Amino acid sequence: MKHQLFDTSIHIATGGRPFANDGQALVLLHGSGQNHLTWVLQSRYFAYRGFPVLAPDFPGHGLSGGTPLDSIEAMAAWLIALLDSLEVKTACLVGHSQGCLVAIDAAARYPSRITRLGLIAGALAIPVNDQLLTMSDKALAKAISVMTSWGHGPMAHMHDNTQPGHSFLGYGNRLMASNNEMALRNDLMACNQYSAGQDAATKITQPVICILAGADRMTPLKHGIAMANSLVNSQKIILAGAGHMLPAERPAEVNHALRGFLAT
Amino acid sequence: MSGDYKFDTLSLHAGHVPDERHGSRAVPIHQTTSYVFQNTEHAAALYNQELGGHLYTRISNPTVAVLEQRIAALEGGVAATATASGMAALATAVLVLCSQDDHIVSSSRMYGANINLLENTLPRFGITTSFVDPSDLAGIEKAIKPNTKMIFGEVIGNPGLDIMDVEAVAKIADKAGIPLMLDCTFNTPWLLKPFTLGANIIIHSLTKWIGGHGVAIGGAVVDGGNFDWGQNDKFPTIAGPHYAMDGINFYEEFGPAAFTAKFRAEGMYNFGPSLSPTNAFHILQGMETLPLRMQRHMDNTAKMLAFLSGHDQVAWVRHPSLADHPGHELAKRMMPRGAGSIIVFGLKGGRDAGRTFIESVELASHLANVGDAKTLVIHPASTTHSHISAEAMIEGGLSDDMIRLSVGLEDFDDIKADFEMAFRAAAKQQKARG
Ligand SMILES: Cc1ncc(COP(=O)(O)O)c(C=O)c1O
Repeated sequence: MKHQLFDTSIHIATGGRPFANDGQALVLLHGSGQNHLTWVLQSRYFAYRGFPVLAPDFPGHGLSGGTPLDSIEAMAAWLIALLDSLEVKTACLVGHSQGCLVAIDAAARYPSRITRLGLIAGALAIPVNDQLLTMSDKALAKAISVMTSWGHGPMAHMHDNTQPGHSFLGYGNRLMASNNEMALRNDLMACNQYSAGQDAATKITQPVICILAGADRMTPLKHGIAMANSLVNSQKIILAGAGHMLPAERPAEVNHALRGFLAT
Repeated sequence: MSGDYKFDTLSLHAGHVPDERHGSRAVPIHQTTSYVFQNTEHAAALYNQELGGHLYTRISNPTVAVLEQRIAALEGGVAATATASGMAALATAVLVLCSQDDHIVSSSRMYGANINLLENTLPRFGITTSFVDPSDLAGIEKAIKPNTKMIFGEVIGNPGLDIMDVEAVAKIADKAGIPLMLDCTFNTPWLLKPFTLGANIIIHSLTKWIGGHGVAIGGAVVDGGNFDWGQNDKFPTIAGPHYAMDGINFYEEFGPAAFTAKFRAEGMYNFGPSLSPTNAFHILQGMETLPLRMQRHMDNTAKMLAFLSGHDQVAWVRHPSLADHPGHELAKRMMPRGAGSIIVFGLKGGRDAGRTFIESVELASHLANVGDAKTLVIHPASTTHSHISAEAMIEGGLSDDMIRLSVGLEDFDDIKADFEMAFRAAAKQQKARG
């Protein structure tokens, strides 16, 4: 659906069903240089199982207008403003990668609004190496292809896909290329600069599930485990052999784990 | 692994990882129509495209999916769908994209059935085509109308071997807000990956070089994922509500793979042009050696061109690698590894000499296919293009003495000896006629 926020048209995927606002929502937050399409196999799945799904494209991403935001704090504040304007009182936030930082920041600062967290392939800090930062500024196509390559695990590199005929790498590249050309750069800078994650984690008492990838080259597993260990009310699941793009690579397991978590 | 796998590795491996239960190294043939659902919820999820997986082989099949993922990987596309033949690929792609009163701008220099489909069959359903010489860029641009939904052509035309400037035509399509769809049967991704030049959809007859052994008919439609279906209101069945799946908007839900999602949900579902798993298996065997075969096809083609060009019974030879071909420079730039293994030529003595030649070869086979590992010859005017009118033949750059040769992988000395023998037979016949 389209939604107007701060004079900007925002696209929000609702999983193919009209968003039925009962005051709470399942909000899916995409990662750096991604958009709502990260959640292709989550948004429909949950929407058709009765969850009011919102998978927004952050400004300058996917089908949203506007310019990309430049800090994690700004993204968290934007998210709360979005929930306000949609009259959503409370939300379960599910983040992927950078989306985990946004979720953690929002949960720590707005505890009454955020009831639960699903943190997929995340960490409390996501430092970005200088080379990739420079590339995202000077050679975007290269940065996209490097991230798509690092972002996928061994099965994905073999183009072994549960979606018949689909190529993870081809799709991953095109998805990122469809964003505003500032999107990736701003996202990576925002991740790199965000240092409040550890502090935020100590404030989070909501239930959390961490779903981590065993072969994650973007946010290495040990940082994901450290994140889970820093959150008092958390459980973790590790999917061996999977790459960073867990929602696409291992949709059945991710959906199953999230659904179990949401039912408790 | 440090980077992405390269072409030769993908040809062997893409799409298949041995399964845990049996560990089959080769791709298993899943010769089944259907797949047992875990429960009703699982079944509903598959129908609703909430989950990847297979429910009925008309729509998808695990063996066929390996082939699809392999061709998508080799082309650098976002997804591919395999079909029962190259013609099924083209017909279904057009029907998925176009509706009544839509229009196509197409190359006039193409395979006879491609021309027939667009010129004679589709108009019955309200889809019309303007044909333009593929080298006439201004003509292509001028032929675009408000209801034009795609530009279509062959990179290397069959059998005239006209070369399309993919990058230039892609720019024209891009400016008009319509996709460029190409039949890439003759070039294969080993010679050219047209998505890198801006093409948007690729059609293959897998029957030819990709299968490579003349054992199975098959086709594929590869989605470049690089066309923005929502940029205008020309594609309401992709970027607007579609009756399938609760009024789904394929563009919003599947992004770069929107066309493929619609192709599966409508094209495979309603038309049913499915590739059989066994044929997919045979084609996969061929794909494994595509790079090796293509190199050898190019080597033998170069030798054959030298031989034919120097032979005093040969009236003319046409191939994009020859300096006098109008597309020579373009072909060299787009396809530095070679411009395919089809050669066309005419003999002194015209149509009759040609017929004697074709009836005299022993090693080369006289048949309708191209791209087999074996050397093939045919006389298009009396066979593949016999349904095309004389004017259309000339418009298509074809003469009635033309012999189409698909250069195979045999020891070149043997093909050469076979041709020399058949040339002698043609000369003898010419002499007898006086
Ligand atoms: C260029 C081209 N495209 C498409 C086709 C049709 O392919 P198929 O025979 O697999 O239907 C052919 C077959 O000769 C061809 O040469």
